[in-house]
Amino acid sequence: MIWEVFRQEKPGGYHRHVGNVHAPDREMAKLFAQIQHGRRMQTHSIWVAPQDEISEVDDEDTSFGGTTDKAYRWAMTYNRVDASGIQEVVESEAEQRAAAKKREAAKKEEADS
Amino acid sequence: MSLDGPHSLTPDERDAVEELLFRMADDEYVAAERYIEWQIFAPTLESDLALSNIAQDEFGHARLWYDLLQDMGYSEQECIWERDPATWTHSTLVEQPFEEGDWADAILRSYLYDTAENLRMEALVDSSYPPIADRVAKVLAEERYHREHAQSWLERLTGGEHHEKVQAAVDRLFPYALTLFAAGPNEDAIVELGLRTENLDDLREEWLEIVVPFLESLDLTVPEPDEVALPEETGRDASHTDAWFDLYEDFTHTYNELELEEPIRLRGEG
Repeated sequence: MIWEVFRQEKPGGYHRHVGNVHAPDREMAKLFAQIQHGRRMQTHSIWVAPQDEISEVDDEDTSFGGTTDKAYRWAMTYNRVDASGIQEVVESEAEQRAAAKKREAAKKEEADS
Repeated sequence: MSLDGPHSLTPDERDAVEELLFRMADDEYVAAERYIEWQIFAPTLESDLALSNIAQDEFGHARLWYDLLQDMGYSEQECIWERDPATWTHSTLVEQPFEEGDWADAILRSYLYDTAENLRMEALVDSSYPPIADRVAKVLAEERYHREHAQSWLERLTGGEHHEKVQAAVDRLFPYALTLFAAGPNEDAIVELGLRTENLDDLREEWLEIVVPFLESLDLTVPEPDEVALPEETGRDASHTDAWFDLYEDFTHTYNELELEEPIRLRGEG
């Protein structure tokens, strides 16, 4: 029986598919996967799933998109406008900078504690 | 009481530390030497990698203890490559040859050995010799996988067509496993100095309390420990079975053939 193996490097990260192992059952699959896919790389967690339980749809079955030109969505037109005389914009940018600083400070405090 | 490093030991203390270190290092080294005979022959690729990995861990543990002997003045040649095989003190359990293809033996041996190894390491956590105590955590962390691996296999090998093979391995290996707890000449000093915080009899009892119920839960028959005649060769007094001398010749063959001045160390190694 083949078990697909997914490895997560750090807590919170995605489990990425790294290969598979042959094992008679779930417990042995977990034991083998540790050696084959966790021993030499930074690993926080490993998932194993029976290959049969994984469902697939590929680009022959469907059209996934992502192939048409969506450049029109990138609103670049206003990037070079000088907004320094427009009070609303100046205030909004100042607010955003202050909020960003606060977030940074909170993050740092959390990391130090 | 705590001893300092290798250089301030009295001759008696030194003998005790050396005996303890050689017992552990030789056990790990020889166990690993046997496990690697399975490389490319294990039942599946995955089980091959798992056992090879366990062997690699055991070699690493042997290195931890041989390094401490080198801190006491021994060279690596004197510890391994040019050492008289009739002075090694590993338990005769780990030197036993495998019958061809007898995977049940490899698994059962690993279970018996690693369970004892775990208890022994726990009795060294508070060793009065700090260089030993400092190195125990690494060993303990890896032994857990070894036991899980062996137990999982035993649960699957028993109860079906391979049950009798496991039973035969129990009958054959159990007396040898008891030599894990046989004393060497400095055993009393090892305990009195606090090098190990438990004596061998207590370790043996604890081991039996784990091993016997587990094996019996798999419908295996375990010999009555007190009625088992200990093999004539325990290893702990440097007495060994013939298989050990053949094995020694095998693994020192390349070293001798190359006639090196000293053992090669890989780049980046120790």
